[in-house]
Amino acid sequence: MALVTGAASGIGAATAARLTEHGFAVAGVDLQPSAAALSLELDVTDRDAVREAAERAASELGPVSVLVTAAGVYEMTPLAEIDDERWRRMLRVHLGGVANACWAVLPGMLAAGSGTIVTISSELALAGGDGDAHYVAAKGAILGLTRSLGWELAPRNIRVNGVAPGPTDTPLLAQDSPWRDPAYLAGLPLGRLVTPDEVAEAVVFLVEEGTYFAGQTISPNAGAVI
Amino acid sequence: MERLDGRVALVSGAAQGLGRTIATRLAAEGARVAVNDRRPSPELDALAEETGGFAAVADVSDPDAVARMAGEVEEALGPPEVLVANHAYMTMSPFVEHDPDDWWLNVDVNLTGTFLLLRAVLPGMRKLGRGRVVIIASEFGVVGWANASAYSASKQGLISLTKTLGRELGPEGILVNAIAPGIMDTPQLDVDALDAGVSPEEIRRRYAAESPSGRIGRTEEIAALAAFLASDSSSAFVGQILQPNGGTTRGPA
Repeated sequence: MALVTGAASGIGAATAARLTEHGFAVAGVDLQPSAAALSLELDVTDRDAVREAAERAASELGPVSVLVTAAGVYEMTPLAEIDDERWRRMLRVHLGGVANACWAVLPGMLAAGSGTIVTISSELALAGGDGDAHYVAAKGAILGLTRSLGWELAPRNIRVNGVAPGPTDTPLLAQDSPWRDPAYLAGLPLGRLVTPDEVAEAVVFLVEEGTYFAGQTISPNAGAVI
Repeated sequence: MERLDGRVALVSGAAQGLGRTIATRLAAEGARVAVNDRRPSPELDALAEETGGFAAVADVSDPDAVARMAGEVEEALGPPEVLVANHAYMTMSPFVEHDPDDWWLNVDVNLTGTFLLLRAVLPGMRKLGRGRVVIIASEFGVVGWANASAYSASKQGLISLTKTLGRELGPEGILVNAIAPGIMDTPQLDVDALDAGVSPEEIRRRYAAESPSGRIGRTEEIAALAAFLASDSSSAFVGQILQPNGGTTRGPA
């Protein structure tokens, strides 16, 4: 059984769909209803709500053997305009959302003696951004958490790895986003946005066959960061 | 319908170890696989039979031999859409004592051999309008390794080559990526054992104990990644260095 956060749209929705095709019973966590077999509507910043959702998913669909954390928000804000609330919210959703989901599913995985976690970060966490410092800091924190959990849990047969997509064609990317600018895209080796399905393929690879990866983050990014 | 149905692949250094496993995996996914090694052997012929391919004999460090071999593969199977540069030569010695000819042989086989293979298959990929190149690097190329200066330098060279060709060939739809595996259960471990002055069993036990995952890697795990990178599943990966290593290497490549 796979628990996917951010399952209602974009990368999370594509991942939930692909995992379903591959035979997983999928529980989707999102603020909005998702197309997953079990749709759980809640805010990933709420630790207790995430724990209860994971418990419900386990009781209805079986033990959580896979966790994919794709919940995220994005906004461009110059550093001087990032107030405490914006900063806190960005960290709570991304770093907190991943940590809350890990806290919720790890007791079960540790008891089972196996499990796989895939976090979604961003190429911006690898390369830095311009005008989105709170997002970059929050996504960078996910890279660090992924590495640390990867190391800490490898001896317990729990694989924790990440996917850092390039600019991906999702609702998170506004129509006037600089990453949709043809001039920007023309500078990428592949000359286009990444599709949510391409990110989902990478997640599914890590889940099904990435059995010797530990603490790694792989990057389907159209060449945005090489 | 398999992911690599109808595609032609060339795998270098395929007579044993990782190359053999990769060739078998690509064939299992539908590819016809030309299997290269530097000497003809009944084992190579049998593998070619199994992979629906061609026994492609050439020393990859010999430009003429590589050009001839590429022609033979194209004649037998058509132009390869997939190249897996897996061949490797490795000797270990303290840097200042390393025999210079042997030092250069590491570089000539690993780095120049990959250049020669790429140069030989590129026209065919351009004709097809698409291509996948999977370069087998090593975690030694990421973090270095005492007494393996030539090998590590050649593997870091392959990582830089991957990044550069990712940028250079990506716009043509030819996607170049690399795998930098950690310790794997291959005949290469016998070289490490010799260098460390211990038995092959002891070196395997030591490496497993040093790994956060508590084991060394299986060639099948790396072959699964090679198949992913050879297929349409990895269509947004370009110039990337993937590190299946059980957690032994922390740094990014």
